[in-house]
Amino acid sequence: MPLSLNYLAKRLLWSMLVVVGVAVLSYLIIVLSPGDPAVKWAGNPRGANASLAIELARKELGLQDPIYVQVPRFVVNVLTGNLGLSIFYKQPVFPVITSNLTSTLELLLITYLIAIPTGVLLGYFSAVRRGSRVDDFIQQLGVLLANTPTFWLGSALFLVLVTHEIPSSGRVDYVLAIETGFQSITGFYLLDSLVQGNLRVFLDVLVRLLPPALAISVYPMGLMIRVVRTLVTEVLLEDYIRVSVALGVKKRRILWTFTLRAVMPGVIQLSGIAFAYSLVDAMVVESVVFGRPGLGRLLIDALNSSDFRIAIGLIVVVTVFYLVVNTLADVVQALTDPRVRL
Amino acid sequence: MGAGVNAQQTGGSPRGAGLLSSLLRRQVRGLKFGAGLTVVLVMLALSLTCDFIAPYPEEGRGIAPPDARDRILLPPSTDHLFGTDSMGRDLFSRVVMGTRSALMQILIVISASLAVGLFVAVLSAYFRGVVEMVVSYLTELFMSVPAIVLALAFAIAVGRGLITVISSLVITWWSWYARITHIYARGVVEMDYVTLSRLSGLSPLKIVWRHVLRNVYPPVLVQAITDMGSVLLEATAINFLSLGVPINSPEWGVIMYEGKDVLVTAPWVTIFPGLFLLVTALGFSLLGDSLRESLDPRLRRKWRLWF
Repeated sequence: MPLSLNYLAKRLLWSMLVVVGVAVLSYLIIVLSPGDPAVKWAGNPRGANASLAIELARKELGLQDPIYVQVPRFVVNVLTGNLGLSIFYKQPVFPVITSNLTSTLELLLITYLIAIPTGVLLGYFSAVRRGSRVDDFIQQLGVLLANTPTFWLGSALFLVLVTHEIPSSGRVDYVLAIETGFQSITGFYLLDSLVQGNLRVFLDVLVRLLPPALAISVYPMGLMIRVVRTLVTEVLLEDYIRVSVALGVKKRRILWTFTLRAVMPGVIQLSGIAFAYSLVDAMVVESVVFGRPGLGRLLIDALNSSDFRIAIGLIVVVTVFYLVVNTLADVVQALTDPRVRL
Repeated sequence: MGAGVNAQQTGGSPRGAGLLSSLLRRQVRGLKFGAGLTVVLVMLALSLTCDFIAPYPEEGRGIAPPDARDRILLPPSTDHLFGTDSMGRDLFSRVVMGTRSALMQILIVISASLAVGLFVAVLSAYFRGVVEMVVSYLTELFMSVPAIVLALAFAIAVGRGLITVISSLVITWWSWYARITHIYARGVVEMDYVTLSRLSGLSPLKIVWRHVLRNVYPPVLVQAITDMGSVLLEATAINFLSLGVPINSPEWGVIMYEGKDVLVTAPWVTIFPGLFLLVTALGFSLLGDSLRESLDPRLRRKWRLWF
């Protein structure tokens, strides 16, 4: 095994420390920022019950205790998933977030199904044809893609679809969903509709998924093009490729079997890093431009209702997501690459 | 194609065209640098002179004159080059004014995170031990938090504004420079001249400043130039979500935020600031890339395929 338990345990401990740090950070933001923390924790309430809500928030935070008591208590609350009720949704924070997470994850999965194969193929082609005009073109395309603002491209796509009267807002046509008796079980609509054999809903969900996925996929695609080109170039310069050429191995076999196998671990690791970034891109685009539910909608709702609990929940969940994805990418890389030992 | 027969052939183009294509490639690299520099300089010039270039500077700053109500959402014309927005203000003026806040956000965020990242990483590489552990923990911590959700927390706790955008970006961004710098600095502090200057009794701060930092900063600086586009994209995304700079400010993200409600009837309000944003980000990226290529000799290596 190229993977030691020792490494995994260390990594887990380190990740836990990072989550604790994030919880401390978010607590410090609310306590150290100017103004009364209790007022902010209660969501800047107005009206008759305002003072009641503020007193309740003060009790909840336990502001009368010294700070070295407050902080650990808050951290424990965060780690046990106890952030109290959301101001806006009137429900516990973490269930609200997890119920919205599936929508965003579904979008990200489709994004990566588009971005990775396209990016790898283009980068691959560019490296093999290095120095040619095709290579130059693909490289410029890669730079362009990596610098395109996601929300701008998303708006442009949305505009085109709306003017052609193609449905592009929300996750699913609710009338169609009710008519065909579609029910969500796992929260991943594509999977659910496929399992229920509901092809019309499946297509509807897919059509609504593609435009935002396309908008989000530009950044990972551009990144992938550039990195895969470098990786493939390095592999093609290796001695074993030279030896296989000397031994008369077919060119196609060298390019598609040997090189691809050598490049894959790097691609996997990069995908992990890029996946975490795309989560943020998805949050910007999905709700504001395409009106889909998801973490992006939570962000907007939290802002509009001054819901600091949702904000902390989002920070923690997004951080945990980043840590998990990166750890997974490293582990998969170690399992696929005989040179890497963790 | 036999092994090594075409070893002199560079890049896989036919032999006769080798010289031509290598010239062309050099041209393209020159073009890349030239294009990047041009974009950056034009944006810089625009940001300095936008008060004179904008035909309606007052409207550009976000103030709608009383008679603006008669010209709401006009399409692009000779009077209003980019059309007008939902309050009747000239969009061209607003977009041109936006270059100033764009460059300002980039410069503040990059220079602050560069300063913090370089300093912290060099100190941690020099002192090792507990300092190094704490710094690498903080680096890991702030790399894991995305700027946008941090901006959300700031926007709720402190309020919206330029400070929200800049602080949330700096807090997350310095960690990248700290990580890169640390990798380089680890190598430099092992050098004999650092040991010698330590033996000669130079104070640690002076060693770090005079001998370590000066040898580490060039690659990090180039990385920072490449990142300027990404910083702009992220800052604009924060403003687009209305987490940052207040509404009506001349900022591309804010203009696009105002434009998304009238996207179907007046797409120009969204299209033009986005184009400016794209071109600016692209310019910094091209500039940084070509600088990195000239800095890193490995990227210039002659390259041959074995078939």
